[in-house]
Amino acid sequence: MAGTLNQRPDCCVETVNLTHKFSEAETALNLVNLQVMEGSIYGFLGPNGAGKTTTLKLILGLLRKQHGEIYVFGKTFENNRVETLRRIGSMIESPSIYGHLTATENLQILQKVYRCPKGRIDEVLGLVGLARTGRKKASQFSLGMKQRLGLALALLHSPSLLILDEPTNGLDPNGILEIRGLLQELNKHRGVTILISSHLLSEIEKLVTHVGIINHGHLMFQGTLAELLSRRRQSSFVVFKTNDDAKAERIVRGMGLNPRVERGGVEVPALEREQVAGINRTLVRDGIEVYQIGRVENDLEEIFFDVIAE
Amino acid sequence: MTFVGSFQSEWLKRRRSLASWLVLIGAFFTPSIILASRIKNHAALPPLYVSEDFWRRLWSQSWESMEVFLLPIGIILATGLIAQIEYKNNTWKQLHTTPQGFTTIFLAKLLVVLLMLVEVFVLFNVGVYLSAVIPAALFGGVPYPTAPIPFADFWAGNVNFFIDCLPIVALQYLLSLHFKNFLVPVGAGFAIWFLGVGLLSWEYSYVFPYNHGAINFLTATGHFAGRKLPASVELLALVYFAAFTVAGWVLYVTKREKG
Repeated sequence: MAGTLNQRPDCCVETVNLTHKFSEAETALNLVNLQVMEGSIYGFLGPNGAGKTTTLKLILGLLRKQHGEIYVFGKTFENNRVETLRRIGSMIESPSIYGHLTATENLQILQKVYRCPKGRIDEVLGLVGLARTGRKKASQFSLGMKQRLGLALALLHSPSLLILDEPTNGLDPNGILEIRGLLQELNKHRGVTILISSHLLSEIEKLVTHVGIINHGHLMFQGTLAELLSRRRQSSFVVFKTNDDAKAERIVRGMGLNPRVERGGVEVPALEREQVAGINRTLVRDGIEVYQIGRVENDLEEIFFDVIAE
Repeated sequence: MTFVGSFQSEWLKRRRSLASWLVLIGAFFTPSIILASRIKNHAALPPLYVSEDFWRRLWSQSWESMEVFLLPIGIILATGLIAQIEYKNNTWKQLHTTPQGFTTIFLAKLLVVLLMLVEVFVLFNVGVYLSAVIPAALFGGVPYPTAPIPFADFWAGNVNFFIDCLPIVALQYLLSLHFKNFLVPVGAGFAIWFLGVGLLSWEYSYVFPYNHGAINFLTATGHFAGRKLPASVELLALVYFAAFTVAGWVLYVTKREKG
């Protein structure tokens, strides 16, 4: 049974009008159309309770789909569940670890299911920096070590798609850097597509190629990181500090722009360099002294909050 | 092949778990008490050890507490603990994102519980044998039992007692998979078992799925002489086992949230 093919052949994961309700009053997801391109690192962002984990659980079949379609590797998930899961590594919410067993025994459990070579166990333990945990039970691991073991479990069978729900929770800054490096390596050199969720854009902006922002179950933005960065440029301002801001504001408005007096000067949104020079020339010609011209750019975090506030 | 891998994976999880300790403790509990009592009263043992019905008396003595109390309690606790391995470690979601059918997972776990029960039976029989021969090895005046071991009868008894336990396994498995809180399956199991014990004197007590072992034992030891029983209590137990297993499978496979 091949299942229905998806609409975008370059998509590794695609949801079409995915909607999920936990009760009549609570719509967790509303017509979400997620498109994770093959070979990309897709950052799935949103505040806590926005619908990220629900979406990921639906993609992995941990929640029963109510409405919409889910395609993974171009096929409907429900008709190809076992075949699809064979190619996915995942870590949802906190890592799933058997506390009474060692790291190696935890990996042996999955090695038996995936039937991958036993040598992979030491390989992935080394990859996540847990090669020397010996007979220590996983329940005695720190949160960061558990997170690394969770990642090792997801990587054991060399998946083509990694689905990670807030994988850097509990890691120290150094650990975050290491995991980021590891994920970039997997993506770049082994072609692994990564769908990673986070509630902090700053945490994953150096990692992702694509971004989806979800809030209250609605996908508010989806595109490349470059597109999100261009939003930053679009939402930037140029501030002219003058000796008469009120007059300067009238002059600029007369040029067909939309200025406002703020930040101790006249703030004009999203200008090209030539426009800045033109405004400056006009203000000086009209007798206004221009003390300072500066560009103010929102950081990505502000864009994120702007998007979820829309 | 998939099922073999799934079973091996499930079998690994019980390593060092409370359930695996419970198997050892449960299997050797009664034989240890009998052994301790024999060591304490070794002076009175010689006539017992030369009697013709030595093995049958030891068998009845050993199985009495096992069949009526310890096995049902042990099954209720061990089955609950096997499911709790996933709940306690928050690993259902990991298990359900592995490439295994839900039926495979359900059957692999059930097989682990059943094999643990087999383990209990084997270890218990070893314990019964040891409780007989250790006093003879320790005390010069106590001879080795001279009566032959009635292997065929003991084998048949073991098989019947095993089958009698199956409805308890299946219903406890259903409850343990369905309820996250360990106290629910254990509490429900104890309540059903208590009720069953209370109803043992009722002539239709065999309809109670947790009573088959006790009825079988009490009938075999002559306590239920004259009581009308169905043609095969074991057949009834197998029907219950099949019904509870199918119900448990339906509930598990159709569960809305799997992690």
